[in-house]
Amino acid sequence: MTTPEPAASEALLPEDRERRLHPASWLFVLLQNLRQFIVPLLVLLFAGGRRDDGYPWWLPMVGVGALVVVSIWQYLTFRYRIEDDRLIVRSGLLERSVRQIPYSRIHNVAIHQSLLHRLMGVAEVRLESAGGTRPEAQMRVLRLPEALALEQLIRDRGQAVHVGADAGPASTPAPAGITLLALSTWEVVKLGLISNRGMIVVAGAFALAFQALPDRMAGRLLVDYGREAFGYASGFAATWMAKGLVLLAVVGAALLLIRAFSVLLALLRYYGFRLQRQGRRLTVERGLLARSRSSVPRRRIQAWTMTEGVLHRLFARRTLDIDTASARGADGQGDAGAQRGLDALAPIAPPATCDAIVRDVALLPDWPPQAWRPLHPRAWQRLVIGDVLMTAIGCAVLVWFFQAWGTLALLWLPWSIFVARRHAARAGYAVDASLVAVREGWWTRHWRFAEVGKLQAVELRQSPLDRRYGMASVWCDTAGASPLATPLRLRLLPLAEAESIHATLAHRIARRPLRW
Amino acid sequence: MTASHDHAAAPPPLPAEATEPAPQVETDIWQPLPTRARTLATITTLIGTVIPLGIALGVGLVASARQPSSFAIAGVLLLLVPAWTVWIARRRWLRTRWRLDDDGFGVRRGHMWRSDTRVPGNRVQHLDVRRGPLERAFGLATLIVHTAGTRNSAVALSGLDHMQAERLRDTLAARAARDDDHDDA
Repeated sequence: MTTPEPAASEALLPEDRERRLHPASWLFVLLQNLRQFIVPLLVLLFAGGRRDDGYPWWLPMVGVGALVVVSIWQYLTFRYRIEDDRLIVRSGLLERSVRQIPYSRIHNVAIHQSLLHRLMGVAEVRLESAGGTRPEAQMRVLRLPEALALEQLIRDRGQAVHVGADAGPASTPAPAGITLLALSTWEVVKLGLISNRGMIVVAGAFALAFQALPDRMAGRLLVDYGREAFGYASGFAATWMAKGLVLLAVVGAALLLIRAFSVLLALLRYYGFRLQRQGRRLTVERGLLARSRSSVPRRRIQAWTMTEGVLHRLFARRTLDIDTASARGADGQGDAGAQRGLDALAPIAPPATCDAIVRDVALLPDWPPQAWRPLHPRAWQRLVIGDVLMTAIGCAVLVWFFQAWGTLALLWLPWSIFVARRHAARAGYAVDASLVAVREGWWTRHWRFAEVGKLQAVELRQSPLDRRYGMASVWCDTAGASPLATPLRLRLLPLAEAESIHATLAHRIARRPLRW
Repeated sequence: MTASHDHAAAPPPLPAEATEPAPQVETDIWQPLPTRARTLATITTLIGTVIPLGIALGVGLVASARQPSSFAIAGVLLLLVPAWTVWIARRRWLRTRWRLDDDGFGVRRGHMWRSDTRVPGNRVQHLDVRRGPLERAFGLATLIVHTAGTRNSAVALSGLDHMQAERLRDTLAARAARDDDHDDA
C-alpha cells in the first residue's frame, strides 16, 4: 500500500452513480461467514454421525451452499453512491437500509488488507463515526486503488467543510504528506522486546491446548515432561542448587519464548509502520502480512497517553497512544477489528520524537509543559496508607503461621514508603489555557493530557481520607477514553488548588465550543 | 422525553422570563432539593430497608430458639438499622445541591465522599426528564444530563421538583442548541 496518487480520485470514483463492490467481494464475505461457522460445520461433518449409517454427509454442504447464496445476494444488494458532501450506502437482504454518512462526520477511515486481499489486489474499507460500537459502513471489498481514492475523497471533502470555520487557508487540495515517524525493522524488534503481547499468545496456546486436546492430555503431558525434566536434573545433580538452576533455566526458556512471540507479533503488526500527516489528517500504515492503513482527522483526537516502562527506559523509548471518539472494534468479528483502529500514534519512539509529534499534531506548542506543579506535600503519606494497612494484615497472617518470623513482613514498609515518596516526588500536573496534563508513576511512568477544548465535564472529588489531609482530586472527562486506561485525573492536590482548578476549568470549557 | 429544540428561537438563557414574574431558574445559587424529595427519600429508604430486614429477621427468629433475648435483639435491629439508613438518606438529601450558572450545570453531593460535578452548557448532548410512579406521586422528577464523555457521560439528579426539572431541561437544551449554531462541526 503506498501513498495514493492525488489526481486519481475523480477518475476512479465518478459522482452520482451507484457503485458496487468488487465482483469477488462475495468470496470474502463468504470466507468471513465461514470462519464463524467453521466449528459447527466441522462438528457436523465429522462428529455428526457415522458414514455407514447412511448419514447424509452432504448435509453440511447445504449450509455452505446457503452461505454462498447469502454472500452473493449481499454483494448484489450493496450499493454505494458518492455525493457532494455525503456517502450514501444502500444495503440489506430483506430489510433494505439507506444510510447517509456526511464526510465531515467520519472520524476514522480504515483500510485493511489481509494476505488474501493483497494477492487479489483488493482492500476492505471501514468508515467510523463517533460513538456506537459498529462502523458506519463496512465495504468488503473494493479494489485497492478505489479504496485509496475513497479514502482520499473523504479526506479532501471532510476537510473542505471545516476549512472556513477552522480559519485555514481557503483551499488546500492535497497537501503532500509529512512523515512524522517511520519505524525501521530494528525499532519494531525493540518494540517486541518491550511489549508483553507474547505472554498472551503463550497463555492462549496453553489454554487452547487444555481445551482442545482430549482427556486432559495437555495436563498429563505437562506433568510427565516436568517430572522427567526434574528427574533428569536430579539424575546429574542431586543438590538443591542444581534443581534451582534447572528451574531457573526453565523459567528463562519460558521468558525467551514469550519475548520471541512478542517480537514476532510486533513484526506482524507494526512492520513498516509509518505515521504521516496530510493536512489535517493523520494516516498510519502498518503490518507485515496483513497491511492496514487508517486515517483520522487530527481534531478527532480526544486525549493523549504517553507511557514509559522500565524496558522502555532501557532502550530510551516511549509509547504514544491516543483516544479517538470513534467506534471501537468489538463488533463480534474477533479481535481483528480491534487492532485496526488507530490506537498508537507512535508505538515506540525516542522521547524527543514523541514530544515533537505532540507539538505538531496536538497544536500544543508548549508541550512538554514548562513547569509541572507538585502534589500536596504530604501526598506520599496518603499514598502509603493503603500499603500500611495491607502490610499490617499480611503481617498478622504471617505471624499467625510462622510466629516471630512473620514480622519480617514489616520490611515491606520501608520499601513502600520509598516507592510512595518517589512517586509523589515525580508526579505532577500542569494546567494552562489550552492544556490539562498529569504525569504519574515512578517505576513505570505515564503522562496523560488533553486539550481543554476536548474536556466534557469536570468533577471535584474528596474522600474522607482526602479531607483529613486537606486534599482533593479533579477528574476530567473526555470522550472515547478506554475504561481500562488511567483516567485524566489530578490526584492528591491541596484542596484550595483543586478547587480553583476545578472552577477555572469549568469556566474555560464553557467558553470553548465543543469540537470533536 | 428528549430535549426540545423549540426554544432555539427564544432568548436563550431564560426562555419565558418576560411572561412570568419570578425568574424561572435561579442562577448562581446552590439550590437545595424540595422538602418533598426528603420525604420521598425517607419513604423509599424505609421500604428498602425494613422489608428485607424484616424478612431476614423473621427467618432468623423462626430458625433459632425463640427466646425473649433474641426477640429483643431483633426489635432493636429493626429500629436501629432503618433509623441509620434514613439518617444517611436525609443527610444525602441535605448535601445534594444543584446550580445553574453561565458556565453550565453543577451538582454537589455526598457527605463522606464528596463530589462536585460540572457539566458546561455547551457540552450537553441531550437531556432526559424521567419520573417513576413514586416520583410522579410526589411531583418530583429525575434530570439526566448526557455528555459525550466516558465516565460522566450521564449526570443524573433525582428528587428535583417536576416543573423545575422541565424548566432546567428546556434552559439547558436551548443553550445547547444555541451553542450548536456556533459550532462548525
